[in-house]
Amino acid sequence: MRMLALLTWPYVRKHRLRSLLTLAGIVIGVAVFVGMHTANRNVGSAFARTVDRIAGKAQLQVSAGETGFPEETLEKVQSLREVGAAAPVIEAVLNTGREGQGNLLVLGVDMTGDRSLREYDLEDEDVIDDPLIFLAQPDSMIVSKQFAGRNGIERGGKLKLETMEGEKEFTVRGIMKAEGLAQAFGGNLAVMDIYAAQLVFGRGRMFDRIDIGLAEGVSVEECRKKLEALLGPGFQVETPSTRSGHFEAVSRALGITINITSLFALLIGVFIIYNSFSIAITERRSEIGILRALGASRGRVLGMFLGESLAAGLVGSSIGIWLGLLLGGAMTPVLGTMVQEVYGAPQAGEGSEAQWWLIAAALGIGMLASVAGGILPARAAARVDPVKALQKGQFQVIAAGENRMRRLVAFAMWAVALACLMGEGVTFYAGYLLMVTGVILLTPALAGWLARALRPALRWLRPVEGALAADSLIQAPRRTSATVAALMLSLALAVGFAGITRATYGSLLRWMNDTLNPDLFVWPTESITSRTFRFPASVEKELSEIEGIEEVQGVRNARVLIGGLPAMAISVSIEISSRRVPVMAVEGDPKEMLPLAAAGKGVIIADNLSRLRGLHKGDMLELDTPSGRTRLPILGVTVDYSDQQGAFLIDRSLYRKLWRDETLNGCRVYLKPGASEEKVKAEIVKRLGSHRRLFIFTNEAIREYILNITNQWFGLTYVQVAVALLVAVLGIVNTLTVSITDRRRELAILQAVGGLRRQVRHTIWLEAAAIGFIGLVLGLAVGAVTLYYNLEMLKRDAIGLLLPFEYPYGFAAALLPVILLVSFVAALWPGEAAVRASLVESLEYE
Amino acid sequence: MVAIVGPSGSGKSTLLNLIGGLDRPSEGEITLDGEKLGNLPDDQLTRVRRDKIGFIFQFFNLLASLSAAENVALPLHLRGWSRGKVRDRAEELLELVGLSQRAEHLPEELSGGERQRVAIARALSVYPPVLLADEPTGNLDSVNGAGILALLHDLHQRLGTTILIVTHDVTVAEGCQRIVTLRDGSIIEDRRL
Repeated sequence: MRMLALLTWPYVRKHRLRSLLTLAGIVIGVAVFVGMHTANRNVGSAFARTVDRIAGKAQLQVSAGETGFPEETLEKVQSLREVGAAAPVIEAVLNTGREGQGNLLVLGVDMTGDRSLREYDLEDEDVIDDPLIFLAQPDSMIVSKQFAGRNGIERGGKLKLETMEGEKEFTVRGIMKAEGLAQAFGGNLAVMDIYAAQLVFGRGRMFDRIDIGLAEGVSVEECRKKLEALLGPGFQVETPSTRSGHFEAVSRALGITINITSLFALLIGVFIIYNSFSIAITERRSEIGILRALGASRGRVLGMFLGESLAAGLVGSSIGIWLGLLLGGAMTPVLGTMVQEVYGAPQAGEGSEAQWWLIAAALGIGMLASVAGGILPARAAARVDPVKALQKGQFQVIAAGENRMRRLVAFAMWAVALACLMGEGVTFYAGYLLMVTGVILLTPALAGWLARALRPALRWLRPVEGALAADSLIQAPRRTSATVAALMLSLALAVGFAGITRATYGSLLRWMNDTLNPDLFVWPTESITSRTFRFPASVEKELSEIEGIEEVQGVRNARVLIGGLPAMAISVSIEISSRRVPVMAVEGDPKEMLPLAAAGKGVIIADNLSRLRGLHKGDMLELDTPSGRTRLPILGVTVDYSDQQGAFLIDRSLYRKLWRDETLNGCRVYLKPGASEEKVKAEIVKRLGSHRRLFIFTNEAIREYILNITNQWFGLTYVQVAVALLVAVLGIVNTLTVSITDRRRELAILQAVGGLRRQVRHTIWLEAAAIGFIGLVLGLAVGAVTLYYNLEMLKRDAIGLLLPFEYPYGFAAALLPVILLVSFVAALWPGEAAVRASLVESLEYE
Repeated sequence: MVAIVGPSGSGKSTLLNLIGGLDRPSEGEITLDGEKLGNLPDDQLTRVRRDKIGFIFQFFNLLASLSAAENVALPLHLRGWSRGKVRDRAEELLELVGLSQRAEHLPEELSGGERQRVAIARALSVYPPVLLADEPTGNLDSVNGAGILALLHDLHQRLGTTILIVTHDVTVAEGCQRIVTLRDGSIIEDRRL
């Protein structure tokens, strides 16, 4: 510690900028880790908190996936001796349409029984004391104090909201105190009568959920078993905490992306630390020599530098955590909206929340990364020969070339990685890790070989400057390899994501061109993924009577559980689909599977569901429905991008029978040949718009919407890539600083024998360009491997989609000028530092 | 040939650096061929160094990654000479210092004396009128030191180059025609032999 204060602190103060760059490596790595996890956690915990607060005193909740269940179920549940209180619930999220207010969670409850489970703590006089008044007025609503405050609503005020019956005015009969229940969904909460909610949200005579309080002396487990036995397999009987766990299941792909990005950011951070400590040791060689001459043991020197890296890790991680929490807070609403769009999981951010485990983990990881980056330079410092370090004119190359052992280990890792390709799960991914580690180990050698290959070209470009730049890289490949590795990893990540974007776009476009052919989509919600509002079945008939419409296909999409995991049931008239939509079959013959499916003799599953669950044509799909457990044969497997968790196609007649659900999420409309799209749209609005909430999307708008969601998804990943590139720039600045320090005398000789300042600058710039180019070449190669593994991960574990391997050549080509430019910019400051150094001091250096 | 002698800290190397345009005087003037070096912009000073001065250092200051021939060719490339012309001149210079057969060797493959010969050849690249040598034999054993000294005498006679040598070595100094002695930054003796 004393050594740190005595020797390190003055060095840090003298080289403030460089010390900041060193910290930047850890700061960015840790900030990305904390930011991404905080945002994900915020979204997840906001969801969990909402579930928890809404649950109130309920110990169990009965639901039937998203489909809901008939009202009669309530009586069955209430008849059970173990149930103390049972309160039905309808839960829906709707857009307030008010700027900056986002969504409102509306809870439909039965006030007569609900107060035994939930406390409605109102601001002034308690309207709920007489629930009958609340019931008698179906336009009644109570809202949270936060929502009322934000919108300037007082008791007795009016609130206009879009409902299934068009825009409707509600009267705010009470305002809930800002605690408990009222804090759910970020405080954007409203409560109304359940039967009014059925009408408003088009639920028919169905409930979404029943919340249950246990009878005295009954255990949760006991009651759960009784309820399951009573209701049969179509119902889920869960504690509120289990329910909130479903969020993690649906956001799995996002979780994987976040972990990969954080890992890359931290790895890049390790390389930056390595680089910075290499500089420090190069510069402080004579100081180390003096220490050794004065009696400091190798262990002491090693300890001193490891202590420095630990201290840097502590400071960098602390700043990184702080920045990460800010970043997480900023990203939460963006991520929340995305999760809601992609997964339909309702949530509202409630600000950023520090999680102690995450902070502890980030601190630990940051310090570990810092020590991992500092250990090799510290070992090199311990090996400094005091005689050579103190002898003028003697130069001991510490960051020497690479060794044979490392190459052998790298090749062995590649061999094992190839063998891992045959494996599944952890083995398969371990292969990727080995592959990348192998490349990292081999980076000094690869960078050296590439620099040799580049030498003639650089020499041709500038005989002296080019040769010197190349020689600098060839001479000390380990000096450059950390930056090359950092750049390589960040570019590999970029190429991997670009490849996925390209493949997803290509596949989505092909799928949309082939299958998404209705002319219009009539939906009760402003987006086709939202399932808050539903049409009654009669809308299908009402639409088909409109002039110019040839055919209407009602669609009911509902998330159901298969084997405890969510999947999407798409129920449509398969007879219409078989005529209208070409089927891209993966397993089975469309001519055979479609008539059978239309007759309700089985289901057709999406290829991603097939892959994720290992289901194939001929297997039985076991479905728990409100009518009990049903086993349906899988008639075929088709290409279908409807849902990330996997979808299956079921005929509406069969769905209605099994789920007793008559509602529709929307209607696909096919126009008669020659019919005017505009006229039909106007007629739909005229006939249905007055008494129904509806949105009409054209085919083009839907395509745009789907691509837009995909863009949002990839937008997030490109933010990560930008961060990775920034880290790479820091790496280049660092490397060139080391290089200039190492070559201080060489550059001074160049000037002493007649080299002009611009010639020295050119040497540095060319070196930077060469580093960038080498990092790019390796990054593009490792990017191909990353893309392969990304696609496999998507196929095997994330969303089960089989996307083609299409190398993003255009993106790769665009990277060349970007990287050369970034390298040039990164070299400007070091170049100036090199020409402005004192010639006399530099010639005496070492 | 001029020897600059004096105890450590007397300012010998500083004087040499000032004459060579590696450093700038805080006061006073350095005039070379009628040109005041102190006022020249950086690139012009470099050009003066390139055309009129050759440096020989105690620690050779060769570039480790370049061969003997490439080290010698370095200032010529910097002047923008054609490749053929550079090659011919490098060969000529290496022959002059007696190292033609070691042209493709890297500095680490050469002995101390050989390295200093390469450094001398590099300093002579454009046959500058002035050669500045800072302790040219300081890092060599006596045999190699004597060899380098003989070479410098030979070059002086053959090429007529002015050679300024900073040295601690009395033998080296006594081989020169003029000895300037410094102490605490001032000339205390200027002797012609």
